[in-house]
Amino acid sequence: METAELQDKIFAYMEKMKGKKKLKEKDVIKALAEETSEAPDTVKKALRGMIDVGRLMYSYGGGASSVEIPSEEYLREKGLIK
Amino acid sequence: MALPKRQTDIGPPKYDQFIPPVIKKNYGKWKYHEVLSGGTMVHVAESGDALYTVRAASPRILSTETIREICDLAEKYCDGYLRFTTRNNVEFLVSDKSKMDPLLKELQERKFSVGGIGPRISNIVHTQGWVHCHSACTDASGLVKAIMDEVYDYFTTKELPNKVRLAVACCVNMCGAVHCSDIAVVAVHRKVPTIKHELVTKVCEIPTTIASCPTSAIRPNPKDKSVTINEEKCMYCGNCFTVCPPIDIHKPEEDGVAIVVGGKIGSLRTSPKFSKLAIPFFYNEPPRWPKVVAAIKNILDVYAKNAKKHERVGEWIERVGWEEFFNLTGIEFTFQHIDDFTFARDTFRTSAAFKYSR
Amino acid sequence: MSGKYKTPMLDELEKGPWPSFVTEIKKAAKKSSMADDELGQLEKSYVTKRGYWKHGGIVGVLGYGGGVIGRYSSLPDEFPGIAHFHTVRINQTSGFFYTAKALKEICDIWDKYGSGLTNMHGSTGDLVLLGTKTESLEAIFAEYSSRGWDLGSSGSAMRTPSCCVGPGRCEWSNIDTLDITYNLTQEFQDEMHRPSFPYKFKIKTAGCAVDCVAAIARADLSIIGTWKGNIQIDQAEVKKYAGAGMNIQAEIIEMCPTSCMSYNNGEIKIDDAQCSRCMHCIAKMTKALRSGKEKGATLLVGSKAPIVVGSLLSWVIVPFIKVEAPYTELKTLIRSMIEWWDDTAKPRERIGEVLEIKGLRPFLEHIGVPPQPQQVKEPRKDPFFFWAESDFKR
Ligand code: HEM
Ligand code: HEM
Ligand code: HEM
Ligand code: SF4
Ligand code: SF4
Ligand code: SF4
Ligand code: SF4
Repeated sequence: METAELQDKIFAYMEKMKGKKKLKEKDVIKALAEETSEAPDTVKKALRGMIDVGRLMYSYGGGASSVEIPSEEYLREKGLIK
Repeated sequence: MALPKRQTDIGPPKYDQFIPPVIKKNYGKWKYHEVLSGGTMVHVAESGDALYTVRAASPRILSTETIREICDLAEKYCDGYLRFTTRNNVEFLVSDKSKMDPLLKELQERKFSVGGIGPRISNIVHTQGWVHCHSACTDASGLVKAIMDEVYDYFTTKELPNKVRLAVACCVNMCGAVHCSDIAVVAVHRKVPTIKHELVTKVCEIPTTIASCPTSAIRPNPKDKSVTINEEKCMYCGNCFTVCPPIDIHKPEEDGVAIVVGGKIGSLRTSPKFSKLAIPFFYNEPPRWPKVVAAIKNILDVYAKNAKKHERVGEWIERVGWEEFFNLTGIEFTFQHIDDFTFARDTFRTSAAFKYSR
Repeated sequence: MSGKYKTPMLDELEKGPWPSFVTEIKKAAKKSSMADDELGQLEKSYVTKRGYWKHGGIVGVLGYGGGVIGRYSSLPDEFPGIAHFHTVRINQTSGFFYTAKALKEICDIWDKYGSGLTNMHGSTGDLVLLGTKTESLEAIFAEYSSRGWDLGSSGSAMRTPSCCVGPGRCEWSNIDTLDITYNLTQEFQDEMHRPSFPYKFKIKTAGCAVDCVAAIARADLSIIGTWKGNIQIDQAEVKKYAGAGMNIQAEIIEMCPTSCMSYNNGEIKIDDAQCSRCMHCIAKMTKALRSGKEKGATLLVGSKAPIVVGSLLSWVIVPFIKVEAPYTELKTLIRSMIEWWDDTAKPRERIGEVLEIKGLRPFLEHIGVPPQPQQVKEPRKDPFFFWAESDFKR
């Protein structure tokens, strides 16, 4: 699978799960590796690519780190949107 | 103004850029060291080269102004080489013996406190407190300042039977690992937290919150879409507050500090030990916590008078027995001293041989 | 801009001989309104006996999930300078060695973007910069990283490894603590900056059992230098200690925990097979006694502070391992330990807690370490124990 396609699938999954459960990086990797039959390392690379450009972000709450879709506020602060 | 280009995952600079030539040359080939005074020592290498160290106190919170002052001194006397210790002291690394006296003189003029080496009290390991933490039920920095002012002579000159390691934790998270100190202050809550139900619904994950409680005191509360706390089970640890901030653990009028004693880290002679409860509670009395300071001074004095040379506080107490510790210090023994947490049964006495209370 | 607040409570803490943190905050407040507001809020805490920091906030630099800790005042209208007051953690150097030049550069950048207040150092080990605003974070990261300084860690991630001064200055060090720590810090950069663990994981390295970094009490993996072979004795130096007034019988021989030493006719003898390598005699007679020649480390796992089910000290897992550059065996073993923990732990469980719940066996099997009496103080008391299928194979 093309990285871009995999990343779209990751994003779709994140949107589906939004507000339902705080997802750890590992949760996302596991779910998508299952869904797409890609190797966990491939999913991890694709996920990291999204985090590096602010399409997803690391978050912290409930005493643990998680992955989330960034807020507009975050994107504005990082200069990714106006 | 354009920013320089960021780099990621480079880690810290390698230490070898920051060590003085005498260390580079004698790296791993040190023969012995001698403590020269309360705050100075010399390390001698197999080659015969010597490295002199001057240790000075810092309050850990340092302004850039003071760091620059320290740097200026290092440039003047140590070719710019210095380090910090695990216990937040500054060490000037002097390669040229003739610079020692002028350095010490200037440190004194600038009101630095030189000490902390040998069988003495070193700087107090502590955490953020009211200065910078949401969880704090006391201020670590203030307690540290008040305690160190009182025991100052034991930092600079006076000797004890062995090192005494002090620590302050501003809540039971104990970010600074006070749980193995000779004498430590740990701040504690004493009341069941109050729950702001509407906010819990909004910001907390209920299952995570329930799972966070070590004593299983938290139950679901479907009516308020929140949780309830079983008051009989709660031990006020505050972990639920960590996981779910609308469960407010802070009760400023009933929060305070406990004193624990007898822990140690090193394996010398006896195994590392946890600190154990000596005094369950003092109210917060800012700015100088006089009762806490007096209690620590008392324990220290009794230890200094009764311990054998080289015995740490915990080794001394184990030799004479905890019941004798309470006799000697005059500290009252209460229900709080009897463990009822995870490993309680291991702490009950199972022998008919013990000393009486006097 | 300073002097906005009257601080009678805090002023009390400028009295006395010990260096005062209040003086430090005031020095920073001369240049920074953030530090001045910190002073004002702290005075208020001293009066009301409670803190005014909000719990939370998600801030960081692009791509990283750790190294910045969000901090907001709960009284932003009263103390606008600290409405944001985030902590930036910087990877410290091994052994906390610096040059004045490097530290001054760190200060210059910090004065430009932050409060001018620091912790040298945080209890994790990181160099801590105390108090900046969200909009400065990317700039701070660019300025520091372009000059060779990276962020430290926070959240569910590896913490910056930390160590004692070791071979840099200590004759007792059995291993190269500085180099091990530098190598592990580089090895685990990804695990430090991108939180993917169940919780935090700390590695601390001490050169000997004196343990000047408290590795045994506050690291998930404690690496403690030790040796095999006989303690090397210089009898001439023994005589000098005696001559200088040391009561060798009382202070050394009788305090040896294994009673393996004797002192006759001015000479020390050690039954090395019985020595537990506790360091007492070496620490007290450093000129006369040196550790044995075969160097290595003991690996212990699991210590943590009391949250949540009580404090733990680390447990011996690997009694002796050689640790020499490039540390391949050590790194492989650490990865294997973390893998087991990562697969087994619930969120927010430290490795020590998981070991307590699951028992040592599955862990030892996973990392390929056999059971050994050195791992326990004593064997079990009760006659209840599990048997695995594999135990029946002869
Ligand atoms: C729902 C909200 C929150 C929960 C449940 C929570 C929980 C926790 C837990 C469990 C830890 C220890 C975990 C660790 O160190 O890896 C922690 C650490 C910490 N929390 Fe929070 N927290 C929350 C919000 C906040 C907020 C809003 C702040 C700051 C303003 C904050 C600041 C910190 C800091 C500075 C640490 C130390 C991190 C470290 O040791 O590296 N937390 N939090
Ligand atoms: C579960 C609850 C915990 C919470 C909510 C928590 C939260 C915090 C917070 C807010 C800080 C202050 C950081 C700052 O503002 O600069 C902090 C610092 C720190 N925490 Fe924790 N912490 C928790 C548990 C622990 C534990 C169990 C440990 C150690 C085993 C730990 C280790 C540290 C260390 C080493 C620091 C740096 C402290 C300093 O240098 O002052 N934390 N933590
Ligand atoms: C399934 C487990 C066990 C069984 C079935 C069992 C059974 C027994 C029986 C039948 C007796 C003799 C009682 C009598 O005097 O008539 C006994 C005595 C005793 N058991 Fe156990 N026991 C068990 C576990 C344990 C354990 C775990 C301990 C200690 C840790 C223990 C300590 C003792 C002691 C101290 C005695 C008294 C011995 C004496 O009279 O000299 N037992 N047990
Ligand atoms: S010990 Fe408690 S109050 Fe102090 S810094 Fe750690 S979490 Fe904050
Ligand atoms: S304070 Fe601790 S014991 Fe009490 S309910 Fe909260 S988590 Fe449970
Ligand atoms: S832990 Fe041992 S080797 Fe390291 S500095 Fe302390 S005494 Fe020296
Ligand atoms: S190291 Fe400890 S056990 Fe070994 S001889 Fe010395 S005092 Fe005895």
